[in-house]
Amino acid sequence: MTTKLFGEPVRRREDARLITGKGRYLDDIGAGALAAAFVRSPHAHASITDVDVDAALDVEGLVAIYTYEDLTGPLAEPLPVLIPHPQLTAPRTGYPLANGEVNHVGEPVVMVVATDRYVAEDAAERIAVTYEELPVIVGVDAAREARACVHEEIPDNVAARHHQETGDVEPALAASPHTLSFTQYVERSASMPLEGKGVHARWDADDRSLRVHTSTQASTSVRAAIAAKLQLPLDQVEVVAPDVGGGFGVKIVHPWPEELLVPMAAIALGREVKWTEDRREHFISSAHERQQRQEVSVGFDDDGRITALDVHVWHDNGAYTPYGIIVPIVTATQLVGPYVIPVYRVVVESVYTNTVIVTPYRGAGRPQGCFAMERTMDRIADVLGLDRAVVRERNLIQPSQFPYDHHLTFQDGRPVIYDSGDYPALLGKLKALVGWDGIEALRDDADARGKLLGVGMALYVEGTGPGPYEGGHVQVLGSGKVLVSTGLTTQGQGHETSFAQIVASELGVPIEDVEVTTGDTRRFPYAVGTFASRAAVMSGNAIALAARGVREKALRIAADVLEADPGDLEISDGVVQVRGTPGASIPLRTVAVLSNPLRYAFDEAAKQATQFARAGSDDKPPVAEGDAPGLEHRDYYSPIRSTFASGAHAAVVEIDPQTWEIDVVNYAVVHDCGNVVNPMIVEGQVHGGVAQGVGGALYERMAYDADGQLQNASFMDFLMPYASEVPDIVIDHQQTPSPLNPLGIKGAGEAGVIPGSAALASAIEDAVGRRITSMPISPTELYDLMRSETAERTAASGRRTGVGA
Amino acid sequence: MNLDGSAVLHGSPDDVWRVLTDPAVLARTIPGCLALERVGEDSYRMDVSVGVGAVKGTYAGEVHLTDQQPPSSYVMHASGAGAPGQVRATVTIELAPDGDSATVLTYSADAVVGGPVAGVGQRMITGVAKRLTAQFFTAVDAELAGAGAAPVEPRPSADAVSQPRVEPPAAPQPQVFTGRAGVPAGTSGDLRTLALGAAGGGLLTLLGVLVGYRLGRRSE
Repeated sequence: MTTKLFGEPVRRREDARLITGKGRYLDDIGAGALAAAFVRSPHAHASITDVDVDAALDVEGLVAIYTYEDLTGPLAEPLPVLIPHPQLTAPRTGYPLANGEVNHVGEPVVMVVATDRYVAEDAAERIAVTYEELPVIVGVDAAREARACVHEEIPDNVAARHHQETGDVEPALAASPHTLSFTQYVERSASMPLEGKGVHARWDADDRSLRVHTSTQASTSVRAAIAAKLQLPLDQVEVVAPDVGGGFGVKIVHPWPEELLVPMAAIALGREVKWTEDRREHFISSAHERQQRQEVSVGFDDDGRITALDVHVWHDNGAYTPYGIIVPIVTATQLVGPYVIPVYRVVVESVYTNTVIVTPYRGAGRPQGCFAMERTMDRIADVLGLDRAVVRERNLIQPSQFPYDHHLTFQDGRPVIYDSGDYPALLGKLKALVGWDGIEALRDDADARGKLLGVGMALYVEGTGPGPYEGGHVQVLGSGKVLVSTGLTTQGQGHETSFAQIVASELGVPIEDVEVTTGDTRRFPYAVGTFASRAAVMSGNAIALAARGVREKALRIAADVLEADPGDLEISDGVVQVRGTPGASIPLRTVAVLSNPLRYAFDEAAKQATQFARAGSDDKPPVAEGDAPGLEHRDYYSPIRSTFASGAHAAVVEIDPQTWEIDVVNYAVVHDCGNVVNPMIVEGQVHGGVAQGVGGALYERMAYDADGQLQNASFMDFLMPYASEVPDIVIDHQQTPSPLNPLGIKGAGEAGVIPGSAALASAIEDAVGRRITSMPISPTELYDLMRSETAERTAASGRRTGVGA
Repeated sequence: MNLDGSAVLHGSPDDVWRVLTDPAVLARTIPGCLALERVGEDSYRMDVSVGVGAVKGTYAGEVHLTDQQPPSSYVMHASGAGAPGQVRATVTIELAPDGDSATVLTYSADAVVGGPVAGVGQRMITGVAKRLTAQFFTAVDAELAGAGAAPVEPRPSADAVSQPRVEPPAAPQPQVFTGRAGVPAGTSGDLRTLALGAAGGGLLTLLGVLVGYRLGRRSE
């Protein structure tokens, strides 16, 4: 059957368009628009004492210059704290344009609008802003020491102290046969989509309506924010996410200053205005993630079973907290992974620094949590002289224990209750896939070639598909075309394919007839957004429910025409037929025509639905009570809580003891995201995630100096892995369906990135015998570590050397 | 919108007063003034062309002086309207002696700007206004230095783009004073040259600044 496409590796339908230059990205829109450019702070922390625009006035083509003084009403207030939380006791957000103070390099101070971007940049360059520099806080340790403060009224730099515990951890630690305490660090990186942010706004002064295109992950909420901040009625604002060249989290933040200022200028000037972020702007004025200092204390027994875990994290949230404490919460709650932790306490102190804001980047706090947990497992194994896989195995939640309640509260405010999973099977598959038990032979072989070989593994559980809801709309047209829309946005995940597969399967139509629209508030005004690996879970299920609604209505109408029981009908290849009765059929497109009783025949098909063409009971209205014209249905999916996907990664590295170059020679992934809509797309998501995981482990960092200047704010200096650095990845699937949603699916978007740093740190440590306590790690840092007198040697290396000697 | 400032002019308050209230001088010193027409006691109509960057264009407005306390203070009321917007401004001007032969002029302008021109941003409007004001004072100072000497006759010359309107000879008014604004005020170039040669500058041009604008509409 051609239409049962759910679960098939259907080739991505959008790719032909996207890879042949037919994509329509933000900068492809508004060719004649005025261009905006920004004067951004060159200082990490300073007061603004003067803005002198005089020299800019001579620039031919300059149209307007805006500073904080031009902002009025809600626009002059600080940007919203998007996700308030009781433990976020000192939230701070910036203004769309700096109001007398800047708190990181790159904060917007002046917006210039001109006839084109070149002119706008020229004018911006001539604007002289006078600053009085203030003390600068860079990095989590400086924030913690608090010798200076980022925000004057917050002397300890602590925005929030997130705290959860499942029991009395101190006595549990004291009673443990063994305990370990250690401190480790994770550096900053960033989403770094190849297409930066961008905003285009057009104001129609005649009907007073605003249309905004923005490269966002949350068009409906951008719309609401623009309406609120510019004091426009919601129905006069439309927001559309065009093709978006990657998001990875950074574009879930909103409203970005530019998303308010560009529409403001479009309205003030009565002209189309556009801003397209350049790469340096993206580095210094979008968002970063990841930096944490982690202090871990763990208690365990002689078998390596954890008895208690106490974690204190210092999380660098940058200059402001627009996204609340979502990343700290995710770290705190996802840290426990697939393990039984009898007593767990976690405190995450979220601290201000004079650096770019920290908001979710693919993984969103999970890579750090995974790093804490998995490195703890490695240390327990090392102390006890046990196989790292064995220690993990002994701590796993067993399949019989589902649903498993960790007694924690997740980022959606709901309990952390794992819905389903089979972690022992995951681990078993991973060991087989990477050849875990044969690693000593590989090590000897590498040794013979003068290389150091090591293997590491890391497991994770990922809460995906948080609510509150998403919606879907499915409509069959008289042409047979099936229009599908959902409000959340697409950044390259292949929604045009996977959502179409769902509808084709549910409705029984050829996928070629299905057209999917996402992220356009004109088509679907209610949505939450694309984040937390939720699109397939949330919109996928909502669209499935909408398609089921259409199917039910189609069968009802067709049953009437075919004089059959709806229960005897089936839809296949776009034709409704009586099961087992060839010839008794009606095309779905005809059902669509008949669903809308007509007076006027505007085309050949419509004739069938006109009042003299249709048979019908004289006793019933043409549109039945409670029914509506048209073959369409809108439905919503709102889950009781998140669904928890899981996975396990293993990496084999070979290290050259001359250069300390780290080569990832094998990378194995076992992945369980429940039922799979399209395995090819899921594997693509895993590949992309692993690439970012490898980048975060070995290459990417934000090199801030002590003055808060980002020294590697370009692709010349920021090392993003190329295809040559991304290892070949072997993938095995496991499907443990979610009992929480109709399709039984779990999210897959972020998974690939989560265990990268943990698995690679473990592998490098295994190879070199020195404790790895900070990631990412470069060859230079590894070299320094190997030459350091004080570097901790692992017990395993001692044992190995002892055995060898 | 408020615009406050001061300037030191090289002449006694009496000299400054005389210059600042002499329509012929004003016509020469206001940046971009094409023509200044006396329409009543202390009331003038004028055409101003402004050419600073995006704030560019020609406009017509009216000016009226009140509360005159020679030689120490007066209030100027200006208003105008043009396609790109409208403006209304009240400017208080005070003169105080500074030593033997100089005067400190202090001005305080309160302007209400409307229409599309209001959308270009306050810094831009005040930036242009400040620049034109500086040009005006430079020109006024040049008048003071170069002597009220050569009384300037209205010159219907080639560079006076705006011709005086033909009025019945019987009427004593209006008098028309032609400006030097062959080129719009404030166009790129040497400021001093502009001030001395082509344009004048001044508070009155606040109007021109605010209203005369084209906002890059050339492409429309």
